[in-house]
Formats: sequence, C-alpha cells, structure tokens
Amino acid sequence: MISWAKRAASALSGGFLMALLFPVGSYWGGAAGAALNLALSMAEKFPYFLRRFLPPLVLLINTVLSAYGVLTGGLVTWAVLVAGLSLFSWNAGLFEQRWPQAPLPVQYRYLRRIGGILTLGLGAGLSAVGWQGNFSLPFFLAFLSMLAGGVLLLRLVSQTLPKGW
Amino acid sequence: MTGAWSLVASLTLLLVLVGLVLRNGALLAMALPYLLFSLLPFWQSRPRPDWKVKRELIPDSLMGGQPCVVKVELANRGKDLEEVFLTDLLPPDVSVEGNTEYYGPFRAGGVETLSYTVRGVRGRYEFPGVSVTIRDLLGLSRDEEILPCPGTLSVLPAADHPERMKLFPRRTRVFTGMIRSRESGAGVEFFGTRGYVPGDPLRHLNWKAGARWDLLITNLFEQERIADVGIILDARSIVEIQTDEDSLFEHSVRAAASLAQYFLGEGNRVALLVYGNYIEWTYPGYGKQQRARIMAALAGAELGEHAVFKEFGSLPTRLFPAESQVVLISPLRGEDVVPLRYLRGLGYRVLIVSPDPISFEKRLLPQDGFRELAESIARMEREATLAKLRRSGAQVVDWDVTGPLWLALKGAAAERRR
Repeated sequence: MISWAKRAASALSGGFLMALLFPVGSYWGGAAGAALNLALSMAEKFPYFLRRFLPPLVLLINTVLSAYGVLTGGLVTWAVLVAGLSLFSWNAGLFEQRWPQAPLPVQYRYLRRIGGILTLGLGAGLSAVGWQGNFSLPFFLAFLSMLAGGVLLLRLVSQTLPKGW
Repeated sequence: MTGAWSLVASLTLLLVLVGLVLRNGALLAMALPYLLFSLLPFWQSRPRPDWKVKRELIPDSLMGGQPCVVKVELANRGKDLEEVFLTDLLPPDVSVEGNTEYYGPFRAGGVETLSYTVRGVRGRYEFPGVSVTIRDLLGLSRDEEILPCPGTLSVLPAADHPERMKLFPRRTRVFTGMIRSRESGAGVEFFGTRGYVPGDPLRHLNWKAGARWDLLITNLFEQERIADVGIILDARSIVEIQTDEDSLFEHSVRAAASLAQYFLGEGNRVALLVYGNYIEWTYPGYGKQQRARIMAALAGAELGEHAVFKEFGSLPTRLFPAESQVVLISPLRGEDVVPLRYLRGLGYRVLIVSPDPISFEKRLLPQDGFRELAESIARMEREATLAKLRRSGAQVVDWDVTGPLWLALKGAAAERRR
C-alpha cells in the first residue's frame, strides 16, 4: 500500500514541478525533475545502490528546482505542493528500504503519522502563501535568525559528513 | 537523530536562510512543511524502554563441530515500541544457522525469542549481549543500546580414540596401572626367575628350570603400574601452517586431546604444557577432573611468537618428574634436534608425534615441477631431522594429518618392533 502511495506522490510531484517550471520557461529543468520523480516511482526495479541514493537525491533536486521556480516567478502554491509530496515520497522510500514487508497495521499507522504531519505542513505553507505580503519582517530579527540558522546548518553538515572529510 | 532528519533540517535551514537573504516570503512559506517535519522528533515523546534479557546456551560446553542451541529471550517491560531492530551480537569465528535478528514492533509486556544454532572450532566464545535499535516510524530519530547478556560457550577440541600404546618410562609410580615397571612383583608378563623362597606361591614354580638345575626356581612377573606422562603442545607460530579452512595447529591440539584422554583413561598421571607465547602449565593429575582441566587448557590454547620461546631451549624440563614419559606434539624444525636430545639426555623417555607440515602444505601449492623439487628437498631435510631424533633414542611418529592419528601410532609401534 505504501509503495502505491509513494508512486502516486512521486508522479504528482513530477506533475507539479512541470506546472511550476514550464510557465517560467525552464523546460529542461521541469522535464528533468519530472523524469527523476518518475524514476523514483519505479525505484523497486533498480539496483540496490540506486535504490538507496535515489530518494534523498530526488528530495534535494525537487527542493532546489522548486526554489528556482519560485525565484524565477513561478506559482508558489505548486512549489509548496512539490515540497510536501517530495517529503512524502522520500520518507516512504526510506520506510520501504528499512522494512520491505511491513505488516498492514504498521503501514496504516505510518500513513496516518506522515499524513498528519504533511497535512499540517502543507496547510501552514499554503496559509503562509495566502498571507504573503501582510507581514513585514524586522531587520534585526531576520539578521539574528540568519546567524543562528547558519551556525545550525554548519553543525548539521559537519555531523552528516563521514569522518575523515 | 538520524541522517534522514539531518537532510530535512539542512534543507529547512537552507530555504529559510535563502528566503531571509533575498527577503523572499515565498521561500519561507515553502520551508514550512520541511520545518514541521524536522521539528517532529522534538514534539514526540521518546519511549523509555525497560528490557529484561535472558540467554540460554544448550549445552554450554561441547566438542568441536557439535551444535549449540542459543536462545535469547527479550521481554519489554516498558511502553509499546513501533519499530525495533534486535541483533544478538556474536563472537567472531562461529558459524550460525538460524535467525539472530528481529525487526518489527514490540508491544508492552511482549516477549520475543531469538533461537539459532552455532558451531565453533575450539576455544571460549563470549556472547556479549543484544544490540537494540529503536526508531520512530518516520525514521527521524534513533536510539541504540547494547543490553549486556553475557554467555560463554566452551568448545573443547574433538578427540580421537587411539588404540593401545606401549610406553616405557624409566620410572613409574606406585599404583597399579598398565605400564611395565621393570620391577618384579604381581603382574602377568614374564620378567625372570630366581631361587624359591618359602612363601612364594607354588603355582609360580618353574618346573622345567628346577629339573635342569635340581633346585626349586620361581618365575617372576613384571609389575604393571601407572606413570607420569607430560604432554608438550608446540604452539610456536613459527611452525604453524594455516589455510582458509584448516590449520596444522588445530591438528596438533586434537592429537594432544586424544593422547591426554587416552593416557588418563589408562589411569596415568598426566600434565600438559602449552609452549608458545608463554608457559601454560596444567599440573599433573588423574581422572575425569584432570581431563576437564586439560581439555579447558587445550580449548584456550593459542599460537604465540614470543622470542624467548622461539626454540625448545627454554623448555622448562623441571616441571616434569624425573625420568618420566614426555610426549611432544610438534611439526618440528631442524633447530629442534639439539634441545630434544638434551631432554633425552636428562633421562626422560621422549615420544614425538609430529604432524607432517610438508604433506599439509603440498595441497596449497600449484602442481608443477618446482613443487615436486621443493617437496623432495623439504622431505629430505625432514627425514634427516627425524632420523637424528630417532638415533638419540626418541620415539618419533611421523603423522600425515590427512589420516587418523591412531593409524600413525600403530605404524610407528610396528616399525619399532621390527
């Protein structure tokens, strides 16, 4: 059941990516992103190393392409949907790798858990799109948030890199 | 936290930073699903597991190659766990049949049992415990823990059953046994004659000798007693030859176990010296307890490459009772002749069981002319070494380890009779 949900989410995020990028003239980016998402939906047929690296790679590329689409004037709603669906297909891929023959009750529980958090995330994102322009961000708050975020990002990246790098 | 969480958190921060730098609210809105996803592990309460672990090894002491059933029972006395990965940590060099892992949910109050079979070659195998990894269903957080649940499996060396061997130590002990003592008394083997003394049993009179000498002559019989036997196992790595599946040292250990078992079964007092990294000495003793001690020492015997014990010159001869029987199990080197001659010169009876390293190593080399030449040269050197030892009075058994030990001992005994 999870694999079908993952396939549907990948196909949909590919479609939303094309809807985001084609209007701004980035045909190659849209096509490549959609192709990658389609590949993720059929990842079970690929060799192990591809199966292992494809979900995080697709998540990364989807995020970068969505950000690019937003920055070049694409519709933000599509970008938020792509983000939510990418998160789902990536995490479902990880779950399938960890637990390929998960019992049905566990699959239901997983879908409930991820569905709840994604609904919340998509709702917040889309609401934020609706409220866009109604808030003005004070400079010092933005500056401090940037500094704290930068430090956290560096720490995260340094922890994620293998030892010896 | 896991690598998956790090990826989502990194993307969140990246989007927020770029959005702030470019003052683009759309990017910040896009970052919200990522942000909620990466905050999820902080919101969820982490379960505090309370485990009870029990290990059972059936049996916990066995002979090499025999199976041991391992049962590990885990009980969850805490809360429900969604995703648990259990692995029983295994000692190296054991072969496993069955499942040592469990993956799945673990209910509160539930019990899971891992049951599998292990086989070891020889030695003490320590089972440290069970590794437990608890994850949430989304794979964003992970807790790892090793639950100590020790267990020790002793795999004793497998022993053959040699046929009856004849030993001739110069000195025996006072108790009745199976070894000829060179003293007259109660026995079954004819030893000699002497003049009749009142009190001698009449059935021991030698009538033929009496008729010839016109005297009463009594037959004497040789007493059979037990003896002191010291077994020396050569554990110097310099004489070891090892392949992927086999090791010459393992054959030596097996021979030592077989001989110790045999000599103890005959009622003798047996000691063991493992000569390699250090002097590992098992005091002389009798019976089943001594057998268990020697088997335990052999189970833990390891090769050593200490410079002091490179030659047999450091052999602690005073550990063995004077003029007793010494059994050396060693593939032998040319340099070993002089120290072993010295041992013989001290009055010990020396039996050398030598696993043949040439026939053992021959299987590993490619079949060509060089191998044949090398083999014939090595064979000549070995024959010369063995001949020197035989000339010095040691009894040498050249044992091709592809055949059984008792056959080699029988062949050596027949050769000695000739």
